[in-house]
Amino acid sequence: MKVFITALAFAAIAASVVAVTLNSIQEPSSVAFTTSGARVGDPGNNLIGPS
Amino acid sequence: MPGSFSIFKLAAFALLLLFAQPASAQLSFKPTAEAVQEDKLLNALKEGDKISGRISIPDRNAANLIQPAGRDWRDFHRGKLPWIGGIAILGMVALLAVFLMVRGRIRLQRGFSGKTILRFASFERFTHWLTASCFIILALSGLNVSFGRTLILPLFGADAFAAMSAWAKLAHNYLAFPFMLGLVVMFLIWIKDNIPGKVDIEWIKQGGGILSNGKHPPARRFNAGQKGIFWIVIIGGALMSVSGWFLIFPYLIGNVTELQVWTVIHAVIAMLFIAAMLAHIYIGSIGMEGAFDAMGTGEVDVNWAKEHHSLWVEEQQKKAGAPSDRTPHAVPAE
Repeated sequence: MKVFITALAFAAIAASVVAVTLNSIQEPSSVAFTTSGARVGDPGNNLIGPS
Repeated sequence: MPGSFSIFKLAAFALLLLFAQPASAQLSFKPTAEAVQEDKLLNALKEGDKISGRISIPDRNAANLIQPAGRDWRDFHRGKLPWIGGIAILGMVALLAVFLMVRGRIRLQRGFSGKTILRFASFERFTHWLTASCFIILALSGLNVSFGRTLILPLFGADAFAAMSAWAKLAHNYLAFPFMLGLVVMFLIWIKDNIPGKVDIEWIKQGGGILSNGKHPPARRFNAGQKGIFWIVIIGGALMSVSGWFLIFPYLIGNVTELQVWTVIHAVIAMLFIAAMLAHIYIGSIGMEGAFDAMGTGEVDVNWAKEHHSLWVEEQQKKAGAPSDRTPHAVPAE
């Protein structure tokens, strides 16, 4: 049981670390695809979060 | 003159009737009317071609207005995929139910001895449960993508379904990484025991002794059935990981057509993977008496080990220098 609980905790912690890391690397589309010549308006939110 | 005027009017009217055409006939020859018939337009495009425009933002994929192959992809997801998943998963559940009814639970022939032998060390069980727990969440959240709108939305309503799906999608994306880690570690620690050999051929010839009571073909640490599950997990998991990676980071390797191909691979492999794991879960729990202990406590009853993995027990006894009627890690069963 202890091993099982440890595995669940590790999975949750690892997933959280991945979430923080990926979210720090990736940018919302409105930021990533805006240039000095073209501004992309904030597309808002959809089912999966900020667009 | 009035007479000649009437004749002129009559002739003019006749000419009008002669050259006049129905309105529908006139429309059918208008170039603009032909151009807006979507089916003809899309069918004129070759597979993979797109109708694209010009855009000023750096995302070139946003310039694609229509991709005709996308219709086939959509039809597959709405039509064929639910059938593939339904047949694979429900078919496996039905098969296992019939097997349980016909064969019953596979019980120990000689009963529990009261002595146990260490089958899986803590780290092995940790790796198994890490991968398994992630797999269950990935499977449920993935099935929600394919079947949620049909099965769950009507039960819980749009708001609850949307909230649940948003969290499930996040869990699917992020738990994929510890799942992939578990796969790699499992491959490294168990590959040496999962190389197919001559013993496996005999095991397969005898059907693993599953259908006959009291007949257990010899097996090393993993029998041919377990080796099959191992390679399904490794190969299936690798395909799921590679395809999933391309879905998390779209357009990493190619255009939208390649993205669609990877989604199809991801979805089909997932359905077959889930079906195979249902069989694994069944035989490791209710299907076979004493089997769950291997991943539960890590120790199995000696009689269970001798019945299902006789060659492995002999190897362990030789390593421990113990006589053949004793076990190297004999401890009281819980």
